[in-house]
Amino acid sequence: MGSWLAHSAAVAVVLVLLPLGLGDFAAYQLALYFLYAIAALGVGLCWGSAGFLPLGQAMFVGIGGYLSGLALIQFKGSALLLVLLPLAALAPGLLAFGLGLILFRGRRETGPYFALITLALSLLAFQIANGWNSVTGGFNGLKGIPGLPGLDDFSHAYWISAAALAVVIAATSWLSKAPAGVLWRAVAQNERRVAFLGFDVTLTKAAVFGLSGVLGGIAGVLYAPQQNLVTPQLVGFTLSAELVIWAAVGGRGSLYGPILGTILIGVLTAELRNTFAYWEVLLAIIFIVVVRWAPQGLVGFALPIVERLRPRPRGPAREAPARVLPGGGAAVAFEGIAASAGPVQILDGLTLAVDHPGITCLIGPNGAGKTSCFNLLTGELPAAAGSVRFAGRAITGLPPTGVTRLGIARKFQIPNVFPGLSVAENLNLALWGARARARDLLKLRLHRWSSPLLRELSERYPFLAEGRNRAGDLSHGERQILELAMALAMEPRLLLLDEPCAGLSPEETHRVIDVIRWARRRLGLAIVIIEHDMSLVKELADRVLVLHQGKLLAAGSIAEIQADPAVRAVYAGGTK
Amino acid sequence: MDPLVTTQFLNIAFGIATLAVLALGLAIVFGLLGVLNIAHGELVMAGAYAAWIVQSAGLPYALAVPLAMLACGLLGWLIEAGLIRPLYARPFDTLLATWGLSLLLRKTAEAIWGLGYKSVALPLPGTVDVLGAAYPRYRLMLIVLCLAGVAALAAWFAKSGAGTRIKAMVANPDLAQAVGIRTGRLARNAFVAGCALAGLGGVMVAPLTPVHPFMGIDYILESFFVLVVGGLGSVAGLVAGAGIIGGLGSLVSAVADRTAGYTAVLVIAILFLWLRPRGLLARA
Repeated sequence: MGSWLAHSAAVAVVLVLLPLGLGDFAAYQLALYFLYAIAALGVGLCWGSAGFLPLGQAMFVGIGGYLSGLALIQFKGSALLLVLLPLAALAPGLLAFGLGLILFRGRRETGPYFALITLALSLLAFQIANGWNSVTGGFNGLKGIPGLPGLDDFSHAYWISAAALAVVIAATSWLSKAPAGVLWRAVAQNERRVAFLGFDVTLTKAAVFGLSGVLGGIAGVLYAPQQNLVTPQLVGFTLSAELVIWAAVGGRGSLYGPILGTILIGVLTAELRNTFAYWEVLLAIIFIVVVRWAPQGLVGFALPIVERLRPRPRGPAREAPARVLPGGGAAVAFEGIAASAGPVQILDGLTLAVDHPGITCLIGPNGAGKTSCFNLLTGELPAAAGSVRFAGRAITGLPPTGVTRLGIARKFQIPNVFPGLSVAENLNLALWGARARARDLLKLRLHRWSSPLLRELSERYPFLAEGRNRAGDLSHGERQILELAMALAMEPRLLLLDEPCAGLSPEETHRVIDVIRWARRRLGLAIVIIEHDMSLVKELADRVLVLHQGKLLAAGSIAEIQADPAVRAVYAGGTK
Repeated sequence: MDPLVTTQFLNIAFGIATLAVLALGLAIVFGLLGVLNIAHGELVMAGAYAAWIVQSAGLPYALAVPLAMLACGLLGWLIEAGLIRPLYARPFDTLLATWGLSLLLRKTAEAIWGLGYKSVALPLPGTVDVLGAAYPRYRLMLIVLCLAGVAALAAWFAKSGAGTRIKAMVANPDLAQAVGIRTGRLARNAFVAGCALAGLGGVMVAPLTPVHPFMGIDYILESFFVLVVGGLGSVAGLVAGAGIIGGLGSLVSAVADRTAGYTAVLVIAILFLWLRPRGLLARA
């Protein structure tokens, strides 16, 4: 909080002092680039933080601009503008949010689909703005837009833009420091893990896109009275492209990158466009060089220093609230489940039940359908037939987020953490996912959350307490432990572990077994473990389920399983 | 049949056939290598400028075909070596790099030839009588050539050894390499072929549309929508996608106007992304 205030004050001081060194006219020109910088910051948030690239961001600037221009013309001097102009800035945000919900649903990759659809939308917006003469003024645009009432002097432009920029910087820097910002960066790195912490990935990405739409809207709303003119160029392709270049060259990963990039490149372009024919060719080359060799842009050169200056969360640790789960126990029941991947039948009329706390080991030859059981239970593999029940309700087809919220936690076979976030941030996300409400994610004090369970885990594994290390710098064994600790920090009632000791040394294996047993006692939870190593199964299992060719072959204690002739036949390579 | 209906029908067939070829190069590169080459449209533009240069120099138009394919193939070779190869398996970075490239090609064309429209004269003037309708000879020729070309490529891909090696590379690059397929060279060839096809597409459409630096954007988007709707990895998907996008675009544009046609295409593409993200006929 304190550092945020100091930071925001510093920005304000710079913005106040800046025009002293410039003439009036330069300050007026700068006012325009401040507005573009606000829009470019939106691109930077989407692309640098949350990991998806909008190529049509000018659409939101333009919509804000047209709405603002129309309102200013229709209600010249009216007090109604106090309501209408903020609405004009919010409208593009709502549009972006809605588009985000549609476009991000069910897609877990950061591929090109989103980028190209936004590009196409901005071209469509251009065609509409260009063709809808009666409202937008067509190709020549909306002309004669009056200035903001009482603030329409030439010399006011700088102060309006500067104030908007300062407010936007303060708000976005709060957001990116807050848990919400950590969540965005987590989404960019590993959407699957985010979903398995109980966050709604689609909603999170749509919210970031919506925010970027609001930033575009603010830029557009202020553009109209400042330039007194809105033309179709403001929604179109060229500005969209420029916003991306500015964000990239300045540095998409930080707050100031897009702002510096916009001002620097914008001013240079204004100077050079008419005198140096190949300036834009050069700019395209600079962009390619940045993408290929310096993804953090100009600001990237300063990042190592900034990283060191970043303050630690101060103040005493706060106890995270206890996790509240809907009732219903932890019993799992598969009833006649069938599932296939392409032509291959993976699960074939599988019926099984895990209905008491304790450790159940799921074993079976390769291809028996063990991991598919986990995928099906957690909504990653659709069931062609049959039903899944958990905690007394039907959950067939419920997606990972919903399943996680019912109290299932999952650790994958290959360590699945957020490599670019610190160990503390990884653990915090697990605490927040299970316990925080959406609006809590704006509160900085959530960074200090801790839980008794986490402290006990940190005693066993001291590296968990050294929170500032990047998870990506940990050893393989440490990342396995970190992921296990995240799953446990969620305090689930059912824990799914897929070969938790894969790739660990005998000593590390021993310690993991120890933690699993401790967690079962400590939390009284049900644990299902997929395991190949029979010596581990003997050590851990209260009960064993044997899968073979997508069906349940046998269930019982380890002794019963070992005595079962059908199991012996399968493992000895007998009847297939 | 009413000559007017015949003409409309042929126009739609023309839209579908040319779109299939324009999207083909993109489909090869995206479907096989997982690289969405946003500069594809600018390579179409380069092909169109090649046609304009050949015609302005008074040379026979047919010469534009090898010239454009050679120029775009060479560009593709450079792009693959310099930008794409280091970024394989990083779809987000290739997206950005090729986007930067599209910007570079566009701005270079702008710096050399300016923003003005260049027009290319029809190399094959005159009309042919089709069921009572007088239809432009050049368009009719393109319909036939495009369909024959796509069919030939589909047959080659299904039957030839190279087609099998490509499928192996797509299914499992590491294993393909392990059994002795030179995946690096294969990927490069596929990329170069995709770029050369874009150049060919440019020569095809040049006489029918104004040639200018920004023309590529429409082509990349339309081609991309074809892949969204049709799905990746099969020729049938490509034809189905081109049929829906090209057919719908031409139909709505004919009934209403171009903006309506564009809107319809965009809405269909978004609906597909939302409800059927793998497209109509995606290969599993």
